[in-house]
Amino acid sequence: MTSPNLYTKLFEQALKIRLVEEEIIHRYPTDKIQSPVHLSIGQEAVAVGICNALTDKDNLFATYRSHAFYLAKGGDLNAMMAELYGRVDGCCHGKGGSMHLAAPEVGFMGTSAVVASSISNAAGAALAAKLLNKNQLNVVIFGDGATEEGVYHETLNYAALHQLPVIFVCENNEYAVHSELKDRQSYSILEHAQSYGIATQKIEKGYDFIEIDKEFSKIADTVRTTGKPYFVEIMTCRYKEHVGPGEDFCGGYRTEDAVNHWKSLDPICTDTQMVERLSPAIMQEILASIEFAENSPFPGLEELYQHVI
Amino acid sequence: MEIISYREALRESMESALANNDNTIIFGQGADDYKGIFGTTIGLAEKYGKHRVQDTPLCEEGMTGICVGAALNGIKPIHIHIRADFVFLALNQILNMAAKYKYMFGGHYDVPIFIRAVIGRSWGQGAQHSQSPQALFSHFPGLKVIMPSNSQSIIESYQYLLNEYSGPVISLEHRLMYDLNFDVDRDQIRTGKDALASYIVREGKDVTIVATSIMVLEAVRAAKYLAEYGIDCEIIDLHSTTDIEHSLIIESVKKTGKLLVADTSWVSFGVAAEISRIICENAPQYLTAPVVNVGMVPTPCPTAKSLEDLYYPNLESLISKIINLSGSGKNIPIPDEKSMADVYKKFKGPF
Ligand SMILES: Cc1ncc(C[n+]2csc(CCOP(=O)(O)OP(=O)(O)O)c2C)c(N)n1
Repeated sequence: MTSPNLYTKLFEQALKIRLVEEEIIHRYPTDKIQSPVHLSIGQEAVAVGICNALTDKDNLFATYRSHAFYLAKGGDLNAMMAELYGRVDGCCHGKGGSMHLAAPEVGFMGTSAVVASSISNAAGAALAAKLLNKNQLNVVIFGDGATEEGVYHETLNYAALHQLPVIFVCENNEYAVHSELKDRQSYSILEHAQSYGIATQKIEKGYDFIEIDKEFSKIADTVRTTGKPYFVEIMTCRYKEHVGPGEDFCGGYRTEDAVNHWKSLDPICTDTQMVERLSPAIMQEILASIEFAENSPFPGLEELYQHVI
Repeated sequence: MEIISYREALRESMESALANNDNTIIFGQGADDYKGIFGTTIGLAEKYGKHRVQDTPLCEEGMTGICVGAALNGIKPIHIHIRADFVFLALNQILNMAAKYKYMFGGHYDVPIFIRAVIGRSWGQGAQHSQSPQALFSHFPGLKVIMPSNSQSIIESYQYLLNEYSGPVISLEHRLMYDLNFDVDRDQIRTGKDALASYIVREGKDVTIVATSIMVLEAVRAAKYLAEYGIDCEIIDLHSTTDIEHSLIIESVKKTGKLLVADTSWVSFGVAAEISRIICENAPQYLTAPVVNVGMVPTPCPTAKSLEDLYYPNLESLISKIINLSGSGKNIPIPDEKSMADVYKKFKGPF
């Protein structure tokens, strides 16, 4: 039995991510957020379920589709909003934007906008954790498309060879931009990972944060004790266009029906009572973060030259 | 004279490449989708078949190697990257294989691959979506690198490189120019090797500006402004960073005595450094003032608009540098234009 508290807690986190991104969509036409946004709307449960099993000491590496994982890992909303608004109080002082968020205080290790480029970094961090006896998990999030890149294969091999305590999480939304998985891949993602001798698990219900939390907690515990790599594939669905605030069913590469089916299973869409109950407080927090962002100064010359080396 | 946008010129060049040679294949992530690489391959998969306008998996290094292999065996691959930054994943195949295959094997093989890569700019592209790697690719013997600054340059150089040239080519296109309209004069299309040559965009006697890509347009805007105040700029569009016409630059500097290089990338070790080298080695005596450079400041690209505007050159900084270099015009007012991106977003040509 799921405790009602856990459901509420995770629901609230997932809802917060959705409302934040909906507010971004709402504000986008003002041109105040001059940053390409890759929205996670539809995929929030994955971030929430995974991060609930991690502590601030565990590291998470993610992608340009960054907002959900940043927030789920505990990243500060004000700092994220200020980053999107290009302000000096942003989590990267206005040098990262939506595609490059970071929150070292909660183990959110940054997001790369070059597909698959963080996967090996997570394995390296796991190597360090092992060598330095850190008792720490290193987790990396990537899309189904990223598994096509060479570095992914190289990293799975190394991680398996050296038995590193790293968890690979493939968020499979079945599309890379507008290309369907079956047009890009000749292998099964899960079987392929297994072929390296890595333990694997597939989670079909990527909308169900309770299920993801339950399964991923077990996996996290296993990796904490065995110190061996693990691979998790989670099926999910991106509701919006690949990048930008809109929908793109006009593009003809997928149908609205398929997305609607997913929405019919998504608690944030179906549990309207919870949404009504939790939204007001969350919205207050979001509006405060926008005010924070808008009041933060624009970075200037001094900031431009800081941190190059 | 026709008016053709940068995007249309690219689309037209892609279509003629397919039409002229049955062995041409376009490879690119999203090449056959409804957006068609910013509109430059739209409709081509439907017309020529998906086997000739191929969507690819996300595997830049592997795909480049596959293109090299196909090129070795009779195919003319065009490989497109929507950002130049993604080409970095394929550096091994480009620099160690494609660039060297002919030389290393004593001239036995040609590798006729044509790589198109787009330089991103503005609106929060940031550190990994905005790089302009002409210096990197031009450094390695064996590659041809072009940076077309208008539709005519695209049409003529793509025609030559796709139909007649048999080595590896990298074309760096600039995203901010895609929507701009340009005059194209089909009677003046340069053919053969001439299509790669640097050329004089505007004649002048006071200052020589050597520019690449979108900086050519900026130089033209600056020159127009300064002409009203009696400063006469000569502008050279470098066009190809591997086939630089030394004599064109030297002759110009002989006339003006002053050289400014305006490039789309960082200054150090870049085009600016190379043009300075050419003058220093061949004709330093013509310089009556130190060379001046305009490029991005030496940091990775930030995302905040306020930082981007400091990071990239703008009309204001370009004009004040030209005025200083020219040594005249202390009373010339400097235009208040701090963001180049804003201008090009709104700009509707034709040039
Ligand atoms: C190396 C590289 N190639 C191409 C791109 C352009 N690009 C950005 S996101 C993306 C799709 C990635 O798909 P997937 O890994 O499934 O993640 P999703 O966007 O679906 O979350 C592509 C091709 C890139 N950023 N980096």
